[in-house]
Amino acid sequence: MTAAAELYEPKLGALPTLTGTPTHYCAGCEHGTLTRLIAKAIDELGVRERTVMVSSVGCSVLAHEYLNVDAVQAPHGRAPAVMAGIKRVRPDLLTFAVQGDGDAVSIGLLELLNAANRGEPITVFLVNNAIYGMTGGQMAPTTPSGMVTTTTPAGRDPVTTGPPIDATRLVAAFESPAYVKRVFLPILPTPSPRVFNARGALEGAKAVRHAFEVQQRGGFAFVEFVSTCSVNWKLGILEAKRYAAEVLRPLFPPGLYRDRFAVEGR
Amino acid sequence: MSDVREFLKGNEALAYGALRTGLNAYFAYPITPSSEIPETLATEFARSTFPDFRTFLQAASELEAINMVIGAAATGAKAMTATSGPGFSLKQEGLSYAAGMELPLLVVDVNRAGPGLGNLGPEQTDYFQATRGGGHGGYPTLVLAPSSVPEMASFPALGFDLAFAYRTPVILLADAFLGQLKEDLVFPDVPSPSYDVAWAATGARGEARHVLSSLHLELADQSRHSRHLLDKRTRIAQREQRAEEVGTEDAEIVFVAYGICARLARRAVRILRSRSIRAGLLRPITLAPFPERRVRQLIEQGRRKFLVVELNAGQMVDDVRLAAGGAANVELLGEMGGLLPSSLDLVRAAEAMAR
Amino acid sequence: MTSETIVAGHGGQGVLELANWLAYFHLLRGRHVAYTPSYGPETRGGKVKCYVVASEDPIDSPIVEAPDLLIAMNLPSMDYVPLLRPGGTLLVNSSLVRDGPGRTDVTVERVPAVELASGLGRYVPEGGRDPSIAANSVMLGAALGLAREGPARTRATVEEVFRHYLTDRKAAYLPLNLNAVDAGFAFVVRSLLPA
Repeated sequence: MTAAAELYEPKLGALPTLTGTPTHYCAGCEHGTLTRLIAKAIDELGVRERTVMVSSVGCSVLAHEYLNVDAVQAPHGRAPAVMAGIKRVRPDLLTFAVQGDGDAVSIGLLELLNAANRGEPITVFLVNNAIYGMTGGQMAPTTPSGMVTTTTPAGRDPVTTGPPIDATRLVAAFESPAYVKRVFLPILPTPSPRVFNARGALEGAKAVRHAFEVQQRGGFAFVEFVSTCSVNWKLGILEAKRYAAEVLRPLFPPGLYRDRFAVEGR
Repeated sequence: MSDVREFLKGNEALAYGALRTGLNAYFAYPITPSSEIPETLATEFARSTFPDFRTFLQAASELEAINMVIGAAATGAKAMTATSGPGFSLKQEGLSYAAGMELPLLVVDVNRAGPGLGNLGPEQTDYFQATRGGGHGGYPTLVLAPSSVPEMASFPALGFDLAFAYRTPVILLADAFLGQLKEDLVFPDVPSPSYDVAWAATGARGEARHVLSSLHLELADQSRHSRHLLDKRTRIAQREQRAEEVGTEDAEIVFVAYGICARLARRAVRILRSRSIRAGLLRPITLAPFPERRVRQLIEQGRRKFLVVELNAGQMVDDVRLAAGGAANVELLGEMGGLLPSSLDLVRAAEAMAR
Repeated sequence: MTSETIVAGHGGQGVLELANWLAYFHLLRGRHVAYTPSYGPETRGGKVKCYVVASEDPIDSPIVEAPDLLIAMNLPSMDYVPLLRPGGTLLVNSSLVRDGPGRTDVTVERVPAVELASGLGRYVPEGGRDPSIAANSVMLGAALGLAREGPARTRATVEEVFRHYLTDRKAAYLPLNLNAVDAGFAFVVRSLLPA
């Protein structure tokens, strides 16, 4: 059964923390969704004037073009370290980064895990679409076994490349993080062609807000958004959503993995 | 000016010099022979003796450290890291980004012997990496070379002045000898200056926001930015060439040496002059920009013989030869592996050249 | 006037400490000083050699190539004897080194540093370490005796050196070290007297 609030018709709307610049994201990509959720949370919390986002490398490299906040560019994978530097000298600021799976879980795993272990009061949003999008569809650390990518033409072989990495459980393995959450973000088709199930976006909106609140209370917050990449998966947009639901959701189960401040339990 | 004479290692003096000029943040990964820098700063951070010193953090890697420095510098803070050869290689990524983003920050390299792990003895083999910009892409470099413990103490202030004036990373290139050497010094009474940081990313007020990025996807944008960086390099080269000279006014042979080698050359000058050979010393204080103007002026004034002494197979000698443009005899006395030439080696080489 | 010293021995003999104290002594006497520690990777047992330069004028090079004084704490330190300036002095820890310098143009002072230090057990704090650890202070005293800056002034400056460095846990060893310096000083000053 689908509750009325989960039925959502996509529409555009201006927000103070959106620049209004049309995004470069592909049609159907959850990066666009997340951009809007972040802008909305910043507006609701009224923190735009003390927010410094850190741009990562990957599809989110231009996120500062769309989010109307101060921004610093990090080298590939280093966003958590840059955020730590910002917060250590300016604890009054709010800082976050949108990182892809390659950025956070491959080249930047050291930075992510050490920031998590130190409990840096920063917020990491991980967009896990199981593939390298920006560079054109190469294998990611989160690519499911068997998935064909440009660097695994016969499908990912876990024997030679290892199985997909579960970043959320890795982060949750440390004691220090205050908020660890995984959200399945894609909207899903319903029997009605003009109606979509947007439970993921609604949960994502809450998670973004909670992650910022946790940072304001001095905690490390990590939210993984299981997402799609229809272009590089070489699937239609809706096919990609279905694939994500069938393959990625069981592999990366959504849920609350840590909530030290009980922000969800109120 | 306080007249308290201190007795400190170069690395310790550098740490206190940074603190006295209002260092806000230090992030680093420990590496010999630079470890006294984080150890001294950690002790002072725990004591809270320097109110501006807001953060000390031992990073999990050299990459983490330089990126923490980038984050802190992006807010306008005075941020620094220190390392040695192998770590300096890892810092190059961050230096390229910081230069591209025009961030003022200080990176100290206490040069040890290499390549690879090498050993813990002094070398000057990171000269090219520091002065040419060891990271990818082209960017301006500003490299200071202290030659004594008092300069280890005073160069952080100079480094931050230059870094903030030009909004660019500054490298302080020392060597393992200077890091471990202890000398007497009196800390200069430097104010801890506040710099103009209107460009910093500290939250957007109204319409104006600050985006510190090295990404310029439009080719014309990148070209404009690269030209802007080139202009900066030219401006720095015009204004900031610094050198110290000893006896160059009448020298028949001029040593060119920096860091610990300049100390050896001073002694060699004294010995040579006692043997009636008019020797002099040109000591670059800025390795980038290299004081090529002084080399050219000295040649115009009739100096024709230059003996470059450095702890490598010949790096700075290239800059001296470029400056000389074939108009002088420029020779190299190089030593490697953590060993130093003796002052007698310098004397003999100079005597051979003077003949 | 510039004095150049090499202090050599093995790790655990307090060589770095001795050289550092000697340098700080000169600093307190208003001189410029340069002290270069050089040591192997081990804290204990490795070969240790330090340079101390002291001068009324700014020091050009901190590297000691032809020392006026070599303080040899063990046998391998005798390797540096050929570097001694003609007319220079070899101050040797005769408790560990029986060899002569093998050259006639240097003065040799033989100081049984371990034996002299071992006789100072009464100054060791309750439950403290063996007094022979102060052999380095005996050699410091001997080096200062050779410098002939007057016993009273020397003693006052040495006290200041120790008050600066022997702090916290080490403060309890101040009497042992001061007495060791006195012993070394008296030993060479006596030996310098005409027979």
